[in-house]
Amino acid sequence: MPDYKDIYWQKLATGKLWLQFCPSCQKFIFYPRGLCPYCLEPELEWTPASGQGKVHSYAIVNVSALPEFKEETPYIYAVIELAEGVKMPSNLIDCSLDKVHVDLPVELTFIERDGKTLPVFKPSEEA
Amino acid sequence: MSKMFQRGQASITGIGELKPSLDAGGRTTLDLLGEAAGQAIKDAGLHKEDIDGLLVTPPSEDSYFLWPSQVAEYLQLSPVFMNMVELGGASAAGTIARAALLVDAGICKNCLCLSGGVWDKQVFNTREGKMAVMSQAEIDYDLPYGPMGFNSGYALIARRHISQYGTTPEQLAKIAVDQRTNAMLNPDALFNQKPLTVEDVLASPVIVDPLHLLEIVRPCSGAAAVIVSRLNNGSDQMHDPVTIWGFGEAYTHNSIIYAPSLTESPIKAAANRAFQMAGVNANDIDLVSLYDCYTITVLISLEDIGFCRKGEGGKFVQDTDLTYKGSLPCNTHGGQLSCGQTSFAGGMSHVTEAVRQLRGEAGPRQVGKNRLALVNGNGGVMSTQCCLILRRM
Ligand SMILES: [Zn+2]
Repeated sequence: MPDYKDIYWQKLATGKLWLQFCPSCQKFIFYPRGLCPYCLEPELEWTPASGQGKVHSYAIVNVSALPEFKEETPYIYAVIELAEGVKMPSNLIDCSLDKVHVDLPVELTFIERDGKTLPVFKPSEEA
Repeated sequence: MSKMFQRGQASITGIGELKPSLDAGGRTTLDLLGEAAGQAIKDAGLHKEDIDGLLVTPPSEDSYFLWPSQVAEYLQLSPVFMNMVELGGASAAGTIARAALLVDAGICKNCLCLSGGVWDKQVFNTREGKMAVMSQAEIDYDLPYGPMGFNSGYALIARRHISQYGTTPEQLAKIAVDQRTNAMLNPDALFNQKPLTVEDVLASPVIVDPLHLLEIVRPCSGAAAVIVSRLNNGSDQMHDPVTIWGFGEAYTHNSIIYAPSLTESPIKAAANRAFQMAGVNANDIDLVSLYDCYTITVLISLEDIGFCRKGEGGKFVQDTDLTYKGSLPCNTHGGQLSCGQTSFAGGMSHVTEAVRQLRGEAGPRQVGKNRLALVNGNGGVMSTQCCLILRRM
Protein backbone atom coordinates (compact mmCIF):
# COMPACT_ATOMS: atom_id res chain seq x y z
CA MET A 1 0.00 0.00 0.00
CA PRO A 2 1.42 3.43 -0.86
CA ASP A 3 2.36 5.65 2.10
CA TYR A 4 -0.42 8.13 1.51
CA LYS A 5 -3.14 5.48 1.74
CA ASP A 6 -1.49 4.05 4.81
CA ILE A 7 -1.43 7.42 6.58
CA TYR A 8 -5.05 8.15 5.69
CA TRP A 9 -6.36 4.83 7.07
CA GLN A 10 -4.06 4.87 10.11
CA LYS A 11 -5.32 8.31 11.14
CA LEU A 12 -8.90 7.10 10.69
CA ALA A 13 -8.19 4.07 12.87
CA THR A 14 -7.39 6.53 15.68
CA GLY A 15 -10.64 8.44 15.06
CA LYS A 16 -9.21 11.32 13.01
CA LEU A 17 -9.77 12.48 9.45
CA TRP A 18 -6.63 14.01 8.00
CA LEU A 19 -6.38 15.72 4.64
CA GLN A 20 -3.45 16.35 2.35
CA PHE A 21 -2.49 19.98 1.76
CA CYS A 22 -0.25 21.39 -0.98
CA PRO A 23 1.85 24.24 0.45
CA SER A 24 2.64 25.76 -2.95
CA CYS A 25 -0.97 25.68 -4.23
CA GLN A 26 -2.42 26.39 -0.76
CA LYS A 27 -5.09 23.84 -1.51
CA PHE A 28 -6.50 20.84 0.30
CA ILE A 29 -6.68 17.56 -1.59
CA PHE A 30 -9.16 14.70 -1.47
CA TYR A 31 -8.70 11.76 -2.13
CA PRO A 32 -5.11 11.02 -0.99
CA ARG A 33 -2.53 10.97 -3.74
CA GLY A 34 1.19 10.61 -4.31
CA LEU A 35 1.38 14.15 -5.65
CA CYS A 36 -0.58 17.37 -5.88
CA PRO A 37 -3.02 17.11 -8.81
CA TYR A 38 -2.80 20.88 -9.39
CA CYS A 39 0.98 21.44 -9.59
CA LEU A 40 2.15 17.78 -9.72
CA GLU A 41 4.66 18.36 -6.89
CA PRO A 42 5.07 15.30 -4.63
CA GLU A 43 5.73 17.23 -1.39
CA LEU A 44 2.40 17.33 0.47
CA GLU A 45 1.56 18.10 4.09
CA TRP A 46 -1.02 16.29 6.24
CA THR A 47 -3.41 18.23 8.43
CA PRO A 48 -6.48 17.35 10.54
CA ALA A 49 -9.80 18.21 8.93
CA SER A 50 -12.03 20.73 10.73
CA GLY A 51 -14.87 18.23 10.57
CA GLN A 52 -17.33 20.90 9.44
CA GLY A 53 -19.12 20.72 6.11
CA LYS A 54 -22.41 20.74 4.29
CA VAL A 55 -24.41 18.38 2.13
CA HIS A 56 -23.61 19.29 -1.48
CA SER A 57 -26.13 16.72 -2.68
CA TYR A 58 -27.53 13.39 -1.58
CA ALA A 59 -29.28 10.28 -2.81
CA ILE A 60 -31.56 8.06 -0.77
CA VAL A 61 -30.73 4.48 -1.67
CA ASN A 62 -33.87 2.34 -1.52
CA VAL A 63 -32.53 -0.59 -3.53
CA SER A 64 -28.93 -1.71 -3.07
CA ALA A 65 -27.13 -4.46 -4.95
CA LEU A 66 -24.35 -4.51 -2.36
CA PRO A 67 -25.01 -7.42 0.03
CA GLU A 68 -23.81 -5.61 3.18
CA PHE A 69 -26.15 -2.68 2.45
CA LYS A 70 -29.33 -4.64 1.71
CA GLU A 71 -30.38 -4.52 5.37
CA GLU A 72 -29.46 -0.83 5.63
CA THR A 73 -31.92 0.55 3.08
CA PRO A 74 -33.08 3.24 2.91
CA TYR A 75 -29.82 5.04 3.66
CA ILE A 76 -28.39 8.41 2.70
CA TYR A 77 -25.44 8.44 0.34
CA ALA A 78 -24.11 11.98 0.06
CA VAL A 79 -21.41 14.18 -1.35
CA ILE A 80 -20.12 16.36 1.46
CA GLU A 81 -18.36 19.66 0.84
CA LEU A 82 -15.87 20.13 3.67
CA ALA A 83 -15.05 23.57 5.07
CA GLU A 84 -11.59 23.03 3.54
CA GLY A 85 -13.18 23.22 0.08
CA VAL A 86 -12.83 19.58 -0.93
CA LYS A 87 -15.70 17.21 -1.64
CA MET A 88 -15.92 13.62 -0.48
CA PRO A 89 -18.45 10.79 -0.74
CA SER A 90 -19.93 9.67 2.57
CA ASN A 91 -23.06 8.67 4.44
CA LEU A 92 -25.29 10.94 6.44
CA ILE A 93 -26.28 9.23 9.69
CA ASP A 94 -28.55 10.17 12.61
CA CYS A 95 -30.68 12.14 10.18
CA SER A 96 -34.29 11.37 9.32
CA LEU A 97 -35.07 11.19 5.62
CA ASP A 98 -37.41 14.18 5.79
CA LYS A 99 -34.78 16.36 7.47
CA VAL A 100 -32.00 15.98 4.91
CA HIS A 101 -31.63 18.75 2.33
CA VAL A 102 -29.04 20.25 0.02
CA ASP A 103 -26.68 22.59 1.93
CA LEU A 104 -27.58 21.06 5.32
CA PRO A 105 -24.67 21.85 7.71
CA VAL A 106 -23.05 18.63 8.91
CA GLU A 107 -20.23 17.54 11.18
CA LEU A 108 -17.81 14.67 11.15
CA THR A 109 -18.30 11.48 13.10
CA PHE A 110 -17.08 7.92 12.67
CA ILE A 111 -18.51 4.44 12.23
CA GLU A 112 -16.99 0.98 12.10
CA ARG A 113 -17.82 -0.96 8.95
CA ASP A 114 -16.14 -4.02 7.49
CA GLY A 115 -13.29 -3.75 10.01
CA LYS A 116 -12.52 -0.16 9.02
CA THR A 117 -13.15 3.17 10.70
CA LEU A 118 -15.00 5.36 8.22
CA PRO A 119 -15.57 9.10 8.32
CA VAL A 120 -19.31 9.83 8.06
CA PHE A 121 -21.42 12.90 8.83
CA LYS A 122 -24.41 13.87 10.95
CA PRO A 123 -26.43 17.10 11.09
CA SER A 124 -24.52 19.85 12.95
CA GLU A 125 -25.51 20.60 16.53
CA GLU A 126 -26.49 24.15 15.53
CA ALA A 127 -28.65 22.95 12.63
CA MET B 1 -2.13 28.21 -39.97
CA SER B 2 -2.12 24.46 -39.56
CA LYS B 3 -4.45 22.33 -41.61
CA MET B 4 -7.88 22.22 -40.06
CA PHE B 5 -10.40 19.43 -40.17
CA GLN B 6 -12.24 19.86 -43.47
CA ARG B 7 -15.98 19.71 -43.13
CA GLY B 8 -17.60 17.35 -45.58
CA GLN B 9 -14.61 15.09 -46.29
CA ALA B 10 -15.82 12.35 -43.97
CA SER B 11 -19.30 10.90 -44.36
CA ILE B 12 -21.33 8.14 -42.79
CA THR B 13 -22.03 5.78 -45.70
CA GLY B 14 -23.29 2.69 -43.92
CA ILE B 15 -25.10 1.72 -40.74
CA GLY B 16 -26.06 -1.60 -39.20
CA GLU B 17 -27.81 -2.32 -35.93
CA LEU B 18 -29.16 -5.42 -34.23
CA LYS B 19 -32.45 -5.43 -32.39
CA PRO B 20 -31.72 -5.01 -28.67
CA SER B 21 -32.43 -8.18 -26.70
CA LEU B 22 -32.48 -9.35 -23.11
CA ASP B 23 -31.00 -12.68 -24.17
CA ALA B 24 -28.14 -12.85 -26.68
CA GLY B 25 -29.01 -16.50 -27.34
CA GLY B 26 -25.56 -17.79 -26.53
CA ARG B 27 -23.82 -15.46 -28.95
CA THR B 28 -20.75 -13.51 -27.86
CA THR B 29 -19.88 -9.84 -28.32
CA LEU B 30 -17.72 -10.84 -31.30
CA ASP B 31 -20.66 -12.61 -32.95
CA LEU B 32 -22.91 -9.58 -32.46
CA LEU B 33 -20.23 -7.21 -33.77
CA GLY B 34 -19.78 -9.33 -36.88
CA GLU B 35 -23.48 -9.35 -37.67
CA ALA B 36 -23.79 -5.57 -37.27
CA ALA B 37 -20.63 -5.04 -39.36
CA GLY B 38 -22.04 -7.17 -42.18
CA GLN B 39 -25.21 -5.08 -42.23
CA ALA B 40 -23.28 -1.81 -42.34
CA ILE B 41 -20.96 -2.95 -45.14
CA LYS B 42 -23.97 -4.02 -47.19
CA ASP B 43 -25.77 -0.77 -46.41
CA ALA B 44 -22.75 1.19 -47.66
CA GLY B 45 -22.55 -0.81 -50.88
CA LEU B 46 -19.03 -1.88 -49.97
CA HIS B 47 -17.19 -5.19 -49.71
CA LYS B 48 -15.40 -6.35 -46.58
CA GLU B 49 -12.07 -5.85 -48.40
CA ASP B 50 -12.85 -2.12 -48.70
CA ILE B 51 -12.67 -1.67 -44.90
CA ASP B 52 -9.24 -0.22 -44.09
CA GLY B 53 -9.88 1.24 -40.63
CA LEU B 54 -11.30 -0.36 -37.49
CA LEU B 55 -12.35 1.49 -34.33
CA VAL B 56 -13.99 -0.61 -31.65
CA THR B 57 -15.51 0.09 -28.26
CA PRO B 58 -14.60 -2.28 -25.39
CA PRO B 59 -16.15 -5.74 -25.02
CA SER B 60 -18.58 -6.42 -22.19
CA GLU B 61 -17.58 -9.98 -21.25
CA ASP B 62 -14.36 -10.82 -23.13
CA SER B 63 -10.86 -9.77 -22.17
CA TYR B 64 -9.92 -6.19 -23.20
CA PHE B 65 -6.45 -7.43 -24.11
CA LEU B 66 -5.60 -6.58 -27.73
CA TRP B 67 -9.32 -6.19 -28.31
CA PRO B 68 -9.08 -4.51 -31.75
CA SER B 69 -6.82 -7.34 -32.82
CA GLN B 70 -9.28 -9.92 -31.47
CA VAL B 71 -12.07 -8.29 -33.47
CA ALA B 72 -9.98 -8.04 -36.65
CA GLU B 73 -9.07 -11.73 -36.43
CA TYR B 74 -12.61 -12.91 -35.71
CA LEU B 75 -13.96 -10.93 -38.68
CA GLN B 76 -10.85 -11.43 -40.85
CA LEU B 77 -10.22 -7.73 -41.39
CA SER B 78 -6.80 -6.28 -42.28
CA PRO B 79 -7.07 -2.58 -41.47
CA VAL B 80 -4.21 -0.13 -41.98
CA PHE B 81 -5.20 1.52 -38.69
CA MET B 82 -7.14 0.26 -35.69
CA ASN B 83 -7.77 1.16 -32.08
CA MET B 84 -10.10 0.76 -29.12
CA VAL B 85 -11.93 3.84 -27.87
CA GLU B 86 -12.82 3.74 -24.17
CA LEU B 87 -14.90 6.75 -23.13
CA GLY B 88 -17.67 4.80 -21.42
CA GLY B 89 -21.03 5.73 -22.92
CA ALA B 90 -19.30 8.30 -25.15
CA SER B 91 -17.13 5.61 -26.75
CA ALA B 92 -19.43 5.06 -29.73
CA ALA B 93 -19.66 8.76 -30.61
CA GLY B 94 -15.91 8.89 -29.95
CA THR B 95 -15.26 6.30 -32.65
CA ILE B 96 -17.12 8.47 -35.18
CA ALA B 97 -15.06 11.58 -34.34
CA ARG B 98 -11.83 9.59 -34.59
CA ALA B 99 -12.89 7.89 -37.81
CA ALA B 100 -13.62 11.32 -39.29
CA LEU B 101 -10.08 12.41 -38.39
CA LEU B 102 -8.56 9.29 -39.96
CA VAL B 103 -10.56 9.75 -43.14
CA ASP B 104 -9.89 13.49 -43.28
CA ALA B 105 -6.16 12.86 -42.85
CA GLY B 106 -6.20 10.40 -45.74
CA ILE B 107 -5.16 7.44 -43.57
CA CYS B 108 -8.36 5.47 -44.20
CA LYS B 109 -10.96 5.38 -46.96
CA ASN B 110 -13.59 3.35 -45.13
CA CYS B 111 -13.37 3.14 -41.37
CA LEU B 112 -15.61 0.65 -39.57
CA CYS B 113 -16.82 1.84 -36.15
CA LEU B 114 -18.04 -1.15 -34.15
CA SER B 115 -19.79 -1.31 -30.84
CA GLY B 116 -21.72 -3.92 -28.92
CA GLY B 117 -21.93 -6.22 -25.96
CA VAL B 118 -23.70 -9.04 -24.21
CA TRP B 119 -25.52 -8.24 -21.01
CA ASP B 120 -25.03 -10.69 -18.17
CA LYS B 121 -27.49 -10.33 -15.30
CA GLN B 122 -25.34 -12.61 -13.12
CA VAL B 123 -22.43 -10.18 -13.28
CA PHE B 124 -24.32 -6.89 -13.44
CA ASN B 125 -26.01 -6.94 -10.03
CA THR B 126 -23.08 -8.03 -7.90
CA ARG B 127 -20.32 -6.33 -5.97
CA GLU B 128 -17.90 -7.55 -8.68
CA GLY B 129 -20.12 -6.07 -11.38
CA LYS B 130 -20.14 -2.71 -9.60
CA MET B 131 -16.39 -2.81 -8.97
CA ALA B 132 -15.69 -3.59 -12.62
CA VAL B 133 -16.79 -0.07 -13.55
CA MET B 134 -15.08 1.72 -10.63
CA SER B 135 -11.71 3.41 -10.43
CA GLN B 136 -9.36 2.41 -7.59
CA ALA B 137 -10.13 5.75 -5.92
CA GLU B 138 -13.84 4.89 -6.02
CA ILE B 139 -13.21 1.41 -4.64
CA ASP B 140 -11.07 2.84 -1.80
CA TYR B 141 -12.99 5.95 -0.77
CA ASP B 142 -16.52 5.64 -2.23
CA LEU B 143 -17.60 1.99 -2.23
CA PRO B 144 -17.57 1.76 1.63
CA TYR B 145 -20.57 4.15 1.63
CA GLY B 146 -22.81 1.95 -0.51
CA PRO B 147 -23.10 3.92 -3.76
CA MET B 148 -25.44 2.27 -6.27
CA GLY B 149 -23.21 2.64 -9.30
CA PHE B 150 -24.49 5.06 -11.87
CA ASN B 151 -27.89 5.28 -10.17
CA SER B 152 -26.55 7.09 -7.12
CA GLY B 153 -24.25 9.32 -9.22
CA TYR B 154 -27.08 10.59 -11.40
CA ALA B 155 -29.36 10.83 -8.35
CA LEU B 156 -26.87 13.32 -6.84
CA ILE B 157 -27.14 15.43 -10.01
CA ALA B 158 -30.93 15.26 -10.13
CA ARG B 159 -31.26 16.13 -6.43
CA ARG B 160 -28.99 19.16 -6.75
CA HIS B 161 -30.82 20.34 -9.89
CA ILE B 162 -34.21 19.95 -8.18
CA SER B 163 -32.96 21.84 -5.14
CA GLN B 164 -31.13 24.59 -7.03
CA TYR B 165 -33.65 25.28 -9.79
CA GLY B 166 -36.99 23.87 -8.63
CA THR B 167 -37.08 21.21 -11.32
CA THR B 168 -39.99 18.84 -10.69
CA PRO B 169 -40.30 15.05 -10.90
CA GLU B 170 -43.13 15.60 -13.41
CA GLN B 171 -40.83 17.57 -15.73
CA LEU B 172 -38.15 14.87 -15.62
CA ALA B 173 -40.77 12.16 -16.22
CA LYS B 174 -42.00 13.98 -19.36
CA ILE B 175 -38.69 13.13 -21.07
CA ALA B 176 -39.31 9.38 -20.65
CA VAL B 177 -42.92 9.85 -21.78
CA ASP B 178 -42.01 11.66 -25.04
CA GLN B 179 -39.32 9.12 -25.82
CA ARG B 180 -41.81 6.31 -25.34
CA THR B 181 -44.13 7.99 -27.83
CA ASN B 182 -41.25 7.76 -30.31
CA ALA B 183 -40.50 4.15 -29.39
CA MET B 184 -44.10 3.14 -30.13
CA LEU B 185 -43.15 3.59 -33.80
CA ASN B 186 -39.88 1.67 -33.49
CA PRO B 187 -40.40 -2.08 -33.91
CA ASP B 188 -36.85 -2.69 -32.62
CA ALA B 189 -37.39 -0.97 -29.26
CA LEU B 190 -37.33 -3.20 -26.18
CA PHE B 191 -40.22 -1.22 -24.68
CA ASN B 192 -42.85 -0.38 -27.31
CA GLN B 193 -45.82 -2.35 -26.03
CA LYS B 194 -47.67 0.59 -24.51
CA PRO B 195 -47.34 4.35 -24.20
CA LEU B 196 -46.26 5.91 -20.91
CA THR B 197 -47.82 8.71 -18.90
CA VAL B 198 -46.13 11.01 -16.41
CA GLU B 199 -48.21 9.26 -13.75
CA ASP B 200 -46.83 5.86 -14.84
CA VAL B 201 -43.27 7.10 -14.43
CA LEU B 202 -43.92 8.63 -11.01
CA ALA B 203 -45.78 5.51 -9.87
CA SER B 204 -42.78 3.29 -10.69
CA PRO B 205 -40.55 2.37 -7.75
CA VAL B 206 -38.09 4.98 -6.50
CA ILE B 207 -34.85 3.02 -6.84
CA VAL B 208 -32.46 5.71 -5.65
CA ASP B 209 -34.36 8.84 -4.65
CA PRO B 210 -35.08 10.95 -6.71
CA LEU B 211 -34.77 8.45 -9.60
CA HIS B 212 -37.77 6.30 -10.54
CA LEU B 213 -37.36 2.95 -12.25
CA LEU B 214 -38.82 4.24 -15.54
CA GLU B 215 -36.22 7.05 -15.63
CA ILE B 216 -33.39 4.52 -15.55
CA VAL B 217 -31.98 2.75 -18.56
CA ARG B 218 -32.39 -1.02 -18.91
CA PRO B 219 -29.14 -2.81 -19.85
CA CYS B 220 -29.41 -5.42 -22.60
CA SER B 221 -27.46 -7.04 -25.44
CA GLY B 222 -26.89 -5.76 -28.95
CA ALA B 223 -24.48 -4.22 -31.42
CA ALA B 224 -24.27 -1.43 -33.95
CA ALA B 225 -21.85 -0.56 -36.75
CA VAL B 226 -21.20 2.65 -38.67
CA ILE B 227 -18.92 3.13 -41.65
CA VAL B 228 -17.21 6.50 -42.07
CA SER B 229 -15.91 7.00 -45.61
CA ARG B 230 -14.00 9.46 -47.69
CA LEU B 231 -16.09 11.01 -50.45
CA ASN B 232 -15.64 9.08 -53.70
CA ASN B 233 -14.76 5.89 -51.86
CA GLY B 234 -15.44 3.84 -54.96
CA SER B 235 -18.69 2.29 -53.76
CA ASP B 236 -22.08 2.38 -55.39
CA GLN B 237 -23.48 4.58 -52.67
CA MET B 238 -27.03 3.64 -51.92
CA HIS B 239 -27.89 6.57 -49.69
CA ASP B 240 -27.35 10.29 -49.48
CA PRO B 241 -24.10 10.63 -47.56
CA VAL B 242 -24.42 12.10 -44.08
CA THR B 243 -21.32 14.15 -43.41
CA ILE B 244 -19.58 14.70 -40.10
CA TRP B 245 -19.87 18.47 -40.06
CA GLY B 246 -18.25 19.05 -36.71
CA PHE B 247 -17.36 17.41 -33.42
CA GLY B 248 -16.17 18.42 -29.98
CA GLU B 249 -15.17 16.65 -26.81
CA ALA B 250 -14.68 17.70 -23.19
CA TYR B 251 -13.66 16.11 -19.91
CA THR B 252 -13.58 17.52 -16.38
CA HIS B 253 -13.78 14.54 -14.02
CA ASN B 254 -14.06 10.79 -13.71
CA SER B 255 -16.12 10.38 -10.54
CA ILE B 256 -19.03 12.84 -10.20
CA ILE B 257 -18.01 13.48 -6.56
CA TYR B 258 -15.05 15.52 -7.80
CA ALA B 259 -16.77 17.27 -10.73
CA PRO B 260 -16.47 21.07 -10.74
CA SER B 261 -20.28 21.24 -10.78
CA LEU B 262 -23.08 18.71 -10.42
CA THR B 263 -25.51 20.66 -12.58
CA GLU B 264 -23.23 22.11 -15.29
CA SER B 265 -21.56 19.41 -17.32
CA PRO B 266 -18.66 19.33 -19.79
CA ILE B 267 -21.31 18.93 -22.52
CA LYS B 268 -21.34 22.72 -22.72
CA ALA B 269 -17.70 22.88 -23.82
CA ALA B 270 -18.03 19.83 -26.09
CA ALA B 271 -21.07 21.28 -27.86
CA ASN B 272 -19.44 24.70 -28.23
CA ARG B 273 -16.41 23.10 -29.87
CA ALA B 274 -18.65 21.11 -32.22
CA PHE B 275 -20.71 24.20 -33.11
CA GLN B 276 -17.56 26.19 -33.78
CA MET B 277 -16.15 23.51 -36.08
CA ALA B 278 -19.47 23.15 -37.91
CA GLY B 279 -20.11 26.89 -38.14
CA VAL B 280 -23.65 26.50 -36.77
CA ASN B 281 -25.45 27.03 -33.48
CA ALA B 282 -28.23 25.39 -31.47
CA ASN B 283 -30.93 27.26 -33.43
CA ASP B 284 -29.83 25.55 -36.66
CA ILE B 285 -30.29 22.02 -35.31
CA ASP B 286 -33.32 20.10 -36.64
CA LEU B 287 -33.15 17.07 -34.35
CA VAL B 288 -31.09 15.73 -31.48
CA SER B 289 -29.91 12.32 -30.31
CA LEU B 290 -28.88 12.77 -26.70
CA TYR B 291 -27.29 10.10 -24.56
CA ASP B 292 -30.06 9.07 -22.19
CA CYS B 293 -28.96 6.75 -19.43
CA TYR B 294 -31.39 8.69 -17.19
CA THR B 295 -33.96 11.43 -17.75
CA ILE B 296 -31.75 13.92 -15.89
CA THR B 297 -28.97 13.29 -18.43
CA VAL B 298 -31.21 14.54 -21.24
CA LEU B 299 -32.32 17.58 -19.26
CA ILE B 300 -28.75 18.62 -18.42
CA SER B 301 -27.74 18.02 -22.07
CA LEU B 302 -30.51 20.28 -23.41
CA GLU B 303 -29.39 23.07 -21.06
CA ASP B 304 -25.69 22.71 -21.66
CA ILE B 305 -26.01 22.49 -25.45
CA GLY B 306 -27.93 25.75 -25.28
CA PHE B 307 -31.53 24.92 -26.18
CA CYS B 308 -32.53 26.74 -23.01
CA ARG B 309 -30.78 28.52 -20.18
CA LYS B 310 -29.17 26.75 -17.25
CA GLY B 311 -31.81 25.85 -14.70
CA GLU B 312 -34.71 26.24 -17.16
CA GLY B 313 -34.52 22.70 -18.53
CA GLY B 314 -37.49 21.56 -16.47
CA LYS B 315 -39.79 24.19 -17.91
CA PHE B 316 -38.30 23.66 -21.38
CA VAL B 317 -39.10 19.94 -21.50
CA GLN B 318 -42.54 20.59 -20.00
CA ASP B 319 -43.36 23.11 -22.76
CA THR B 320 -41.56 21.42 -25.67
CA ASP B 321 -42.82 18.45 -27.67
CA LEU B 322 -39.73 16.23 -27.82
CA THR B 323 -41.39 13.59 -30.01
CA TYR B 324 -40.74 13.07 -33.73
CA LYS B 325 -43.71 15.41 -34.40
CA GLY B 326 -42.43 18.15 -32.15
CA SER B 327 -40.40 21.33 -32.45
CA LEU B 328 -37.24 19.65 -31.13
CA PRO B 329 -37.36 15.94 -31.95
CA CYS B 330 -35.20 14.15 -29.38
CA ASN B 331 -34.21 10.48 -29.41
CA THR B 332 -36.74 9.62 -32.09
CA HIS B 333 -35.94 5.90 -31.84
CA GLY B 334 -37.11 6.00 -28.23
CA GLY B 335 -33.62 6.46 -26.85
CA GLN B 336 -31.96 3.98 -24.59
CA LEU B 337 -34.76 4.57 -22.07
CA SER B 338 -37.20 2.79 -24.40
CA CYS B 339 -34.87 0.77 -26.68
CA GLY B 340 -32.61 -0.60 -23.93
CA GLN B 341 -28.94 0.11 -23.37
CA THR B 342 -27.03 -2.31 -25.57
CA SER B 343 -23.79 -1.99 -23.64
CA PHE B 344 -21.40 0.36 -25.45
CA ALA B 345 -23.64 0.22 -28.55
CA GLY B 346 -26.34 2.14 -26.68
CA GLY B 347 -24.42 5.27 -27.57
CA MET B 348 -24.17 4.16 -31.20
CA SER B 349 -27.97 3.96 -31.42
CA HIS B 350 -28.01 7.76 -31.17
CA VAL B 351 -25.77 7.94 -34.24
CA THR B 352 -27.65 5.36 -36.31
CA GLU B 353 -31.01 7.00 -35.57
CA ALA B 354 -29.71 10.44 -36.55
CA VAL B 355 -28.43 8.96 -39.83
CA ARG B 356 -31.82 7.33 -40.54
CA GLN B 357 -33.57 10.64 -39.92
CA LEU B 358 -31.13 12.65 -42.07
CA ARG B 359 -31.49 10.12 -44.91
CA GLY B 360 -35.28 10.31 -44.61
CA GLU B 361 -35.45 6.58 -43.82
CA ALA B 362 -37.07 6.72 -40.38
CA GLY B 363 -40.45 5.48 -41.65
CA PRO B 364 -43.51 6.41 -39.57
CA ARG B 365 -41.36 8.35 -37.08
CA GLN B 366 -39.61 10.45 -39.76
CA VAL B 367 -39.18 14.08 -38.73
CA GLY B 368 -40.14 16.90 -41.09
CA LYS B 369 -36.97 19.02 -41.08
CA ASN B 370 -33.91 16.81 -41.41
CA ARG B 371 -30.86 18.70 -42.58
CA LEU B 372 -28.79 18.99 -39.40
CA ALA B 373 -28.60 16.67 -36.39
CA LEU B 374 -26.72 16.91 -33.13
CA VAL B 375 -25.63 13.70 -31.40
CA ASN B 376 -24.16 13.65 -27.91
CA GLY B 377 -22.36 10.75 -26.31
CA ASN B 378 -21.94 10.82 -22.54
CA GLY B 379 -19.86 8.45 -20.44
CA GLY B 380 -19.50 7.77 -16.73
CA VAL B 381 -21.49 10.23 -14.65
CA MET B 382 -21.40 13.21 -17.02
CA SER B 383 -17.65 12.48 -17.23
CA THR B 384 -16.76 12.01 -20.90
CA GLN B 385 -18.50 13.97 -23.64
CA CYS B 386 -18.37 13.66 -27.41
CA CYS B 387 -20.70 15.88 -29.41
CA LEU B 388 -21.19 15.29 -33.16
CA ILE B 389 -22.91 17.48 -35.71
CA LEU B 390 -24.14 15.52 -38.73
CA ARG B 391 -25.43 17.08 -41.95
CA ARG B 392 -27.23 15.74 -44.97
CA MET B 393 -25.50 16.97 -48.11
ZN1 LIG C 1 0.12 21.93 -5.71
